[in-house]
Amino acid sequence: MRFLLLSSCLFILAGCSSVYQNLQPDTGDVTAIEKFRPDFKVALYKTEVEVVGHHLSGLLLIKTLPDSSVRMVFSNEMGFKFFDFAFEPDGSFKVFYVIKQMDKKPVITTLQKDFELVMMLKQNPKTASVLKDSADRYYVFPQQKGYNYYITNATGTELLRMERSSAKKPIVQAIMKNYINGIPDTIGITHKNFSFTISLKRIER
Amino acid sequence: MRKIILILIVIGSGFAAKAQRAGYAPITDIAKFNEQFATVAKKTETIKSDFVQEKDLEMLSEKITSKGKFWFKKDNLLRMEYTSPFQYLMILNKDNVYVKDGQKENKISTKSSKVFQQINRITIDCVQGSIINNPDFKTKIFESKGTYMVEMSPVSKALKDFFSTIDVIIDKKDYSVTTIEMHEVSGDSTVIHFTNKELNTAIPDAFFAIK
Repeated sequence: MRFLLLSSCLFILAGCSSVYQNLQPDTGDVTAIEKFRPDFKVALYKTEVEVVGHHLSGLLLIKTLPDSSVRMVFSNEMGFKFFDFAFEPDGSFKVFYVIKQMDKKPVITTLQKDFELVMMLKQNPKTASVLKDSADRYYVFPQQKGYNYYITNATGTELLRMERSSAKKPIVQAIMKNYINGIPDTIGITHKNFSFTISLKRIER
Repeated sequence: MRKIILILIVIGSGFAAKAQRAGYAPITDIAKFNEQFATVAKKTETIKSDFVQEKDLEMLSEKITSKGKFWFKKDNLLRMEYTSPFQYLMILNKDNVYVKDGQKENKISTKSSKVFQQINRITIDCVQGSIINNPDFKTKIFESKGTYMVEMSPVSKALKDFFSTIDVIIDKKDYSVTTIEMHEVSGDSTVIHFTNKELNTAIPDAFFAIK
């Protein structure tokens, strides 16, 4: 019985600890992460979405407009549009169109935050910090709620993954690989607290 | 062909009301059109065609062009295969839709969707040549020198959510559908052009099988 109680307490304590708690301050420059910021002049991606057992596929067009806003339009292969979002230069977010089935605040906010993570938006160097563990370097950008982590190798030359996190653990993990002229060929977004993944593979037109 | 087009539309898009198109005037002999359209529809057992689809994103000044092949067989059998710049297969077999996207396969029953049911109705109307009497659409017919244009405005809210108008361009020579234009309220559109059409060639049912 005592063993059971002890085990339970240890389990609860382990559950309360942060996966980031062992990170140590590092000396790197927070702005060094900017070299991985994607430059979406215009890019078309074949897109697959898995959400709680449902599969959705289509095309995601991302384009930077002359006013520096980034527009993101997702439609299925036959042209049926799911959403049309804009990420404005002042940090604001605008919904130009969303189908009725997706027109729910939690859905839109989740997509907004996921793509802000990937596009490396809302990065304030003044509040950011650089941390490290035994293998990797962590660029940490506090958000209104939680943190965005950009994790590179120890020398900061390779972006390993991105994480949107609570104080204790990642909520979303993302990868961005194989840049060609500043545009990643592959982007992956995976939610940790429910079954939701977005996979993007660039299409040459 | 008209049937297919409408089905495509269904699965697909949204459209917008607009002023009368240049080069087109309201049709003068609507009875002749209705009769010919219905006659040709009745005679058309199969259609095989190439297609080019253009998704025009007006605000972004961008056009996404894709190409593929499509096959239609009476009744309610449709296969649409995108080959460039991506691979995508869609088969409509009566009440069921099969989609293959890369390695992923998906089956959908149209019975579960009101919009699909309406589309089925549209399909049947097309085959019967009575599409212009479909209560789901308010239809206007225009003609130019070489083509007819059937402009269909959805009446039901469910379809209005998807598009504002669907314009079907029909060749006067053989009453075959050459282009389907799906216009969204936002100004964006999806246009499908059909080329290299072959009518009434033998296409086995197995080609539309959903396994």
